[in-house]
Amino acid sequence: MDVLSSLSQLFELNTLWTIALGTLGGLIIGALPGLTATMGVALLIPMTFGMTPVVGLNMLIGIYIGGIYGGCVSSILLRTPGTPASAATVLDGYPMAQRGEAGKALGMATIASTIGGLFAAIVLATLAPQLASIALKFGAPEYFALALFGLTIIASLSGDLLKGAISGLLGILISCVGADPITGVLRYTFGVSGFASGFSFTPALIGLFALSEVFTQMERIGKSEAPVRTVSGRWPSRTDMRESKSALIRGSIIGTIIGIIPGTGSGTASWISYNEARRSSHTPEKFGTGYAPGIAATESANNAVCAAALIPLLALGIPGDVVTAVLMGGLMIQGLAPGPMLFQTNPDVIIGIFGGTFIATIFMFIFGMALIPLFSRILLIPRQMLAMTIVIFCFIGSFAINLNPVDLYTMIGFGVLGWGMQKFGFSQAALCIALILGPMMEANLRRGLLQSGDNLIEFASGPITLLFFFLTILSLGWPMIARLKQRNRKTIQAPE
Amino acid sequence: MNKKLIIAAALLAASISTEAFAFPDRPIQVIVPYSAGGGTDLSLRLLAESFERNFDGSTMVVRNQPGGGGSIGTSGAVLARPDGYTLGAGAQGPLALLPHLGGTPYNIDDVEFIGLFGRNLQVMVACKDAPFSNFDEFLEYSKTKAPQIGNSGAGGANHISAEAFGKAANIKIESVPFGGSSEARTACVGGHIDAMVASPAEALGQVEAGNVSMLFVMEPERIDLFPDTPTAVEKGIDFTWSSWKGIIGPKGIPEQDLKFLRSAIKTAVEDEEFRKKMEEMGEFVIYEDAEQYEARARSDSKTAEAVIRDLGMYGMNN
Repeated sequence: MDVLSSLSQLFELNTLWTIALGTLGGLIIGALPGLTATMGVALLIPMTFGMTPVVGLNMLIGIYIGGIYGGCVSSILLRTPGTPASAATVLDGYPMAQRGEAGKALGMATIASTIGGLFAAIVLATLAPQLASIALKFGAPEYFALALFGLTIIASLSGDLLKGAISGLLGILISCVGADPITGVLRYTFGVSGFASGFSFTPALIGLFALSEVFTQMERIGKSEAPVRTVSGRWPSRTDMRESKSALIRGSIIGTIIGIIPGTGSGTASWISYNEARRSSHTPEKFGTGYAPGIAATESANNAVCAAALIPLLALGIPGDVVTAVLMGGLMIQGLAPGPMLFQTNPDVIIGIFGGTFIATIFMFIFGMALIPLFSRILLIPRQMLAMTIVIFCFIGSFAINLNPVDLYTMIGFGVLGWGMQKFGFSQAALCIALILGPMMEANLRRGLLQSGDNLIEFASGPITLLFFFLTILSLGWPMIARLKQRNRKTIQAPE
Repeated sequence: MNKKLIIAAALLAASISTEAFAFPDRPIQVIVPYSAGGGTDLSLRLLAESFERNFDGSTMVVRNQPGGGGSIGTSGAVLARPDGYTLGAGAQGPLALLPHLGGTPYNIDDVEFIGLFGRNLQVMVACKDAPFSNFDEFLEYSKTKAPQIGNSGAGGANHISAEAFGKAANIKIESVPFGGSSEARTACVGGHIDAMVASPAEALGQVEAGNVSMLFVMEPERIDLFPDTPTAVEKGIDFTWSSWKGIIGPKGIPEQDLKFLRSAIKTAVEDEEFRKKMEEMGEFVIYEDAEQYEARARSDSKTAEAVIRDLGMYGMNN
C-alpha cells in the first residue's frame, strides 16, 4: 500500500519527463569527450533545488545512468572514452567501428548496459534494506575500518603502486584543510576564512576531472582525428548474442559486487569484467580485435555499478564512487542525510529512487537505440568550441554551489593539479577516493579513540571492524597473490 | 545633442526621485550562512515571502553562503556595504559562539541587530541502550561516570549547550563531536553514544519509535509537545538554553532605512500566514525587537564565553 503510493509518484507525467530528460542529458554528456557523468551530475545539482527530493534525485540518477552508458559512444566511434568507465570498451569497440560495424557495436553496448543496469537495480531493491539494518551497527571504529579498507582499493586501482600511493596521500593531506573534526581548530587555512570548511568537494572535483581534461584536450587540439565512418544497423546478430551470454552475466555480477564495495567505481569493474570474460572465453585471442563479447563484458559491468553504487550510498551514507559522492551532495542539499536513517525517516524517497533507477535504465535503452545514427554527428562539434563551453560550465558550476569566490580558486587549483597528475601518470581517482575517505577515516579514528578512552584494543574489537581489517589486509595482499598466480601460469605454459 | 541632454536630464531626475522616494528601490538580499533546504534557510524563505506580501513592490532575495559553521556567510553580511540592501540571517552559533573561538573576521560588536523571529527549543534525549532513561537516572549515572553526549560539531551550539548544562549541574560530561546533527542522530539511534541535544521536532519521531527517551527540556517551563518531560529548572538546576535566528546587518545603515527595516521585519513576522507556515514546519515563532534581540545575543555570548574558556577553546583559531 505504502510502497504503491510511493511508486505512483514516479508515474506522474512530470516525474517521468524529468527522468527522461535527465537520462537523455546524461547520455549526451557522457557521449561528449571531456564531459563526464560526474560533471553532469555536479553541474545540474543546482537545478534540483526547487524540485521535490524524488524528482530531483531521479533526474540526477538519470544523468548518472545515461552518462555512464553514453561514454561508450565516443569510445567506440573516436577511440576517446567519454567517461573513464568506458575506457575498456575502446579495446573491442573501436576495431568494430573501423570494420564498419559501429552500429552493431553501439547496439551491443546498449543491450549490455541495459542488462547490467537492470540486474543491479534488482539487487538494489532487494538487498539494500538488509544492508541498512546492519548499518546501524556501524559506530566510529567500524566506519574507520571501512574507510581504511576503501583506501586500499587505491592500490588495485592505480597501475603504478608508488604513484597511486602518492596520489592517495596527497588527497588525505588536502582533506586536512579546514576545521579539525574533533576540536574544531582551523588547520592550514592561513587566515582565509573562506577555507574554514576546507576545500569544497564539488568545485574540487570539477577542477580535478573536468578542467584538467580541458587542459589535456587543448594540448591535443590541432592533431588530426580519425574520420567518422557511417553507422549502419544497430542490432547485434544472434551469434553475437550467443557468444556474449556468459560475458553479460559475469559482467553484471562483477559490476554489482564492485559497485557495492565503496571506493571502486565503474572503471575498475569494466576492466576486471573484461579480464574475466577473456580469461574464461574459448577464444581469448579474438578479444581486442573487435569482438562483441568484449563490449558486452565492459558495458554490462560499468552500468551495473551505477545502481549498485547506490546501495552503500543509501544504506550506509558512503559514496561508492565519484558520481555517487556528488549525488550524496545532491541528497544533502535536499535536507536528506544518506545513511541507515533514510530508510526510516524517508522511505518514500528510497522507494522513489529504487523505482527511478529502473525507469532511467529503460529510458537509457530506448534513447540509446534511437539515437545511434545521430551520435556520430554530435561528435563533429569542433573541439575548440567544446573545450571553451566546458570551461564556462566549470566556473558556473563551481560558484553556484556555495556562492563562495574561494571555490573558484579551489576549482582552478585542482584543475591544474589534475592536469599535472594526468600528464605524469598519477591517478586522479586515487586522489579523489582519498578526498572522500580521508576525513571519514580521521574523524572516526579520533572519535572512536575518544569514546574508548584511547584504548586501542577496545577500539578494534567489534566483529565488523575486524572483518574490514581482514579485508584490508586481503586487498593489499591481492596484487601480490595475483602476480604469483600469473607467474605460475607462465611457468606452466612455458614448456608447451 | 538635444537628445543627449534630455536623456541626461531624465537620468538625473530618475536618480533624484529614487533617493527622494522610498527605500528599498531594489531587491534586498539576505545571506543565509547555511545550505539551502535547512531549517534556517526555509524559515528565511518564508520570511522573505511574508515581507514581499506585506510590502508591495519590494523584493527580498535569499542567498545561501554555507561553510565554516556559519561564519563565512555571517561575515559576508556583517562586513557588507551598509546601504541596507545586504542583510543576513543572524543565528546563535556564528554570532554568540564562534567569535570566542577566534578566526572570524567579525565579533558581536560589529553586528547591527534588526529583529528576532524565531527560537529553536532544545531537549536532551537518552540514546538507545543508554544506562539511563530519565532525568534522575541521568544525574545519578553522571556522578560515577561521565556520560558521552553527542553534538553536531565542536564549538557548535549543541556542544556549548551540553557543556553549559554540565557546568550548571556540576557534573562531568564527555562531549563527542560529529559532522552534523544527522550523523550524531544516527549514532544515537544506533546506541553508540549515551545522550544528545536535539530539537523537540527531531526528537519526537525517535521517541515515538522507541529509539530514544526524553531526559529534560531546556526551557523555563514544560512544553506542549512533551508535557511529561521535566525542565532542568524544576529539578533545581539553573539552566535554560535555546538557539535562535533573526535578521542582522552591518553597522552604519542610514538611520531612516534601518528604522524602516526594523518595522518591516516586525510586520513580516507578525503576519498570520507566516506564523502558520512556520508552525507547520515545527518552528517556534517569536518576535523580539532589536534591543531585546541584542540583549539575548549578548547574554548567550557571555555564557558561551565562560564555557569556552573552561574548555580551553577560547581564541584557539586566532
